[in-house]
Amino acid sequence: MSVLGALYRGESPVDFPSLWRRAVIVSTVAVLVGLASFGVRGLNLGLDFEGGTSFEVRSPGTSVAEARQVMERLDAADARIQIVDGEVLLIRSDVQDPTRATEIRDVLAAELGPVEAFEQVGPTWGDEVTDKAVRALLVFFIVVALYITVRLEWKMAVGAMVAVAHDIVLSVGVYSILQFEITPATVIAFLTIMGYSLYDTIVVYDKVREIVGRLGATDRYTYTELMNLSLNRVAMRSINTSVTSAIPVVSMLLIGSLAMGATTLREFAVALLVGIFVGSYSSLFLASTIVAGLKEREERWRLVFQKVRSRGLVDGPTRVIGRQEAAVSDTRAAPRSSPTGGPAKRRPTIAAPGAGGAPPRPRKKKR
Amino acid sequence: MPRRQLVFLIGIVILTVAASVMTVVWRNEPLLGLDLQGGVSVRLVAVGPADEEMLDQAVEIIRDRVDGLGVAEPEISRTENGVMVSLPGVDDQERALSLVGTTAELRFRPVCRVYSARGASRPASGVVSAIPASCEAVATGEVVPAVGPAGVTLPEDDRPGDFVVLGLRGDEGGRRYLLGPSLLTGEAVSDADALFIDYQWQVGLELHEGAVGIDGFNAIAALCFSGSPACPRSEGVTNGRLAIVLDGQVVTAPSIRAPEFRRDAILISGGFEKIEADDVSLALRYGALPVELEPENIRLVSATIGEDSLRAGVVSGLIGLLLVAVFIVGYYRILGLVALASLAVSGALLWSIIAHLGTQSGLALTLAGVTGMVVAIGVSVDSNVVYFEHLKEDVRDGRTARSSVDRAFPIAFSTIVKADTASLISAGLLWYLTVGAVRGFALYLGLATILDLVATYFFMGPMIRLLSTTRWFAEHPERFGLPSSGAVSATAGSLRRAGA
Repeated sequence: MSVLGALYRGESPVDFPSLWRRAVIVSTVAVLVGLASFGVRGLNLGLDFEGGTSFEVRSPGTSVAEARQVMERLDAADARIQIVDGEVLLIRSDVQDPTRATEIRDVLAAELGPVEAFEQVGPTWGDEVTDKAVRALLVFFIVVALYITVRLEWKMAVGAMVAVAHDIVLSVGVYSILQFEITPATVIAFLTIMGYSLYDTIVVYDKVREIVGRLGATDRYTYTELMNLSLNRVAMRSINTSVTSAIPVVSMLLIGSLAMGATTLREFAVALLVGIFVGSYSSLFLASTIVAGLKEREERWRLVFQKVRSRGLVDGPTRVIGRQEAAVSDTRAAPRSSPTGGPAKRRPTIAAPGAGGAPPRPRKKKR
Repeated sequence: MPRRQLVFLIGIVILTVAASVMTVVWRNEPLLGLDLQGGVSVRLVAVGPADEEMLDQAVEIIRDRVDGLGVAEPEISRTENGVMVSLPGVDDQERALSLVGTTAELRFRPVCRVYSARGASRPASGVVSAIPASCEAVATGEVVPAVGPAGVTLPEDDRPGDFVVLGLRGDEGGRRYLLGPSLLTGEAVSDADALFIDYQWQVGLELHEGAVGIDGFNAIAALCFSGSPACPRSEGVTNGRLAIVLDGQVVTAPSIRAPEFRRDAILISGGFEKIEADDVSLALRYGALPVELEPENIRLVSATIGEDSLRAGVVSGLIGLLLVAVFIVGYYRILGLVALASLAVSGALLWSIIAHLGTQSGLALTLAGVTGMVVAIGVSVDSNVVYFEHLKEDVRDGRTARSSVDRAFPIAFSTIVKADTASLISAGLLWYLTVGAVRGFALYLGLATILDLVATYFFMGPMIRLLSTTRWFAEHPERFGLPSSGAVSATAGSLRRAGA
């Protein structure tokens, strides 16, 4: 809570770079688990993708809920049940095995009424639809990567694409591990997650760009330190947005599925919820790591790093850039402080030689 | 500056109110999708034997056709001996039938007259006097073909026995043909192939034996070759022309160069590209579908998502929205109220557009669409959050609240535009490149994103700028969820002491 409070007050309490290594390990493990599950267990594709069996039962007056209870006892609760012309139940289940289908038919006939039609049905979401969606996705990746390259830079495009791919793999992985049924709505949820993650990442990157633009030319901070400042400054936004996005979904999860017994919404909500948090996590931890890693290799930032290190300021945790420095609005106009002036506020725990006794620079009143 | 802001603000509020009033007055309501409200289901049974592959092909063709009409989001699946098509809404039975039943036919119609490109206003203007008998019946005004606003016969009036005016496929707004009654249907065709003969792509046509086949075709060929009244010569052409019509569009209209043909030796040439020749032969071979399908029954079906789920979804959605409102107002105070008002503006506009499209163009609102909108709400809220956090940051950096407002908006808006552009790109690509449910999602995502930009730029920004000119704003920043300047220096001071 104190970290949140500090974030709320606009301080920079979190040392993001120190968490990056852990984040990369956690993400890599999670992605591997997701991929492994996808490879071994695969996905539980529903009626729409694989087809199944359709039953038409003449049973006037039977409600969908009653029919669903019967199907539940047959271990096929995820069947799609519709009422046709007010008196026929149209039940479509993803059961494909003919013997099981026959069993179900017999039970339905015994419990609900005469089964008028009973046949195999094909998928409504055919291979053609999937092919088109996959192609669209590939084009999407290319175009968005180009867009980010143009508006921001290619290193950020790389980071964003990795983050989005990471989120998709994790979300699909959750479906594979828990063997939730994939429906067209699930696919939409995945796309939603993708869009959300991308949006979030771009907001974070734009903050980085702004901060680096303001403070980068001073050559007093390494890219990682500037990234840390940006992340601290954008963290509250990420948290707030995740919370406001997650509230309706949690509400759907709790009220929709627990209180009112609507099981169809549950899996959908779980996917969205996982996606929202993973999306925020990946933009703060993963997308930033990749960009910082790539940028620190650049000639310019290597020089800055060496310069800063030669002053003995780099060992230990990332320096926290104080409010006054961060408030510099235009690097060229910013007055260079005296050579002995401490470039940054440091945590009380680090004793950095050479800069410890420097008096704080006077707070600027106006730009 | 404030004056421009005021104009924006008043403009957007008037627009929103007007749109909402229109929606209510016109009784526009969103058309709920098949999953949310049910619709009609047409069961089509294959006439004659059909294997799985043919039925799958039929499913694809029907899907393309239904998609081509709008975003109705049909559910189309193969059954054991046919295809099942479900469309949302209950008033559409005839449309559903006409879509998948009657248009599946290929027709051979004689060409009475060709209207070149635009310009030719009313057909049947009585100019063509030399045409006797059947085509003359139109020319003299004895028979007037039913013509829609675009100058062509509407699909529902396109009956085999009538005179019709149809456009050329892939040439919208271009050439139109005045065509006589259908003389032969696709049933006559046994096979067709694209062939490369005489250094050009042609279509080789093979017909069945008998009246519905080569004999019927030769009867027409004789008429057209001689330029008889039923199939007249047009200027500059020595023979009459026979149009091959598919789905209410002329695929090609070759002149008939011989009075009689052999069953397996008919060639259609027309300077085709390979792909055109392929298209024409495909159309000839399959009619429209690889198998002929006959509607067996049309039935009303209830929603696929149970009513219980639907109610739960709506209730939980509303509660969720309420909680979001509480959170936003609790956190950002008056700024939060502005955010909610901004959300209301974009929400009302979105609703108006969806209701209008639903009523006018059969745009269906499915669960996928609802999801797209929920995400969009999250994104809309975020646009506000991005700006507010920027404001806070600037105030903490020592600016006055008022100067922060002027400075932060352009920066925050640029971030919002960048992120929203990425959303729009994905929405656009998904719309163009996919079919079915994904398309519906893309449309709603795109719409809501655009409205988010509109509401942010024309409502939220100006509103806060106006508020910032009040004394109240300067004196009580905490009521706006902003740190007061005192708090800033205290924080900075404590940091400094700790660091020293």
